[in-house]
Amino acid sequence: MGTGGKWVDRDSDPVVRPYALTGGRTEPADGEVLDLIAIIVDSGRPAQAVDQRGLSPEHRRILTLCQHPATVADVASDTGLPLGVIRVLLADLIQQGRIKVMQDRPAGEKPSAQLLREVLHGLRAL
Amino acid sequence: MASGLSDPGAEGPLAAFKILIAGGFGAGKTTLVSAISEVRPLRTEEALTSVSASYDDLQGVENKATTTVAMDFGRITLGGRRVLYLFGTPGQERFWFMWDDLSYGALGAVIVADTRRLADCFASVDYFEKRGLTFVVAINCFDGAHRYDPAEVRAALDLGPQVPVVLCDARQPESVKNVLITLLEHVLAGLPGEDYGSQPAPAAPPLA
Repeated sequence: MGTGGKWVDRDSDPVVRPYALTGGRTEPADGEVLDLIAIIVDSGRPAQAVDQRGLSPEHRRILTLCQHPATVADVASDTGLPLGVIRVLLADLIQQGRIKVMQDRPAGEKPSAQLLREVLHGLRAL
Repeated sequence: MASGLSDPGAEGPLAAFKILIAGGFGAGKTTLVSAISEVRPLRTEEALTSVSASYDDLQGVENKATTTVAMDFGRITLGGRRVLYLFGTPGQERFWFMWDDLSYGALGAVIVADTRRLADCFASVDYFEKRGLTFVVAINCFDGAHRYDPAEVRAALDLGPQVPVVLCDARQPESVKNVLITLLEHVLAGLPGEDYGSQPAPAAPPLA
């Protein structure tokens, strides 16, 4: 128990078991594990009535965070939810077509020499 | 390249890259990441796999199904909405199931070495060599620590002549920036057909 009425801090055990938020699911619905730095964004597709019913507050929070492109790691950090949970929830939204993955290169593939040079120049300019 | 955005004013990364920061406990990984980037917390709550289960003694806690790792990562925003992520790897072997996730598609790795405890680097060197992930060794020069010559560290870690070994001060942004630049140059030099530097691949990068 902390001060200022704060009962839970970063080191506390979760109040809700993390995978309770996913209905006990630990694997993404599509079986595909998103890379930590995969860039995701709201697809802009209007919500279907049936989707809205299935959306948890956590799903909605993710959609809000993905109004602009963000990485999986950013979304996990912003929500404070564990990475494994975020991956399951994101897979739901991807299946519904609400979130899309913006790929600048195939997942897991190393960047091209051109991209690497851009990173190098960017670092030198810091 | 990603081009799916209809709103050119939208924010957020268009391309993301990651570098692993490895090294023993207390070697200065977090200091190094903090020196150059915006640090953010990341929680992982991994369902125990058979791999990690072998590290976790479940006697008496058979219903324990997840294990928590709290870690930080750094974000460096470069020009053109490119963002470089620095992920510190949890050092203990029981977290090695995280390493595969973290190293997937990574540009390369920096091994932060504390010369007082060089043996702490062995596991990282082994891992990256086996995975074929390009890495550099950054010797963190702590105040008062005996400063070994990079050549001595190279010999102690049994590194090939092509692996850059550089001295750094993990607290200094400029020093950390140079470590990352060395890594990028080393990665580029190792690409087939890349004439970065002055020699054809596989080129020996200039040694520190």
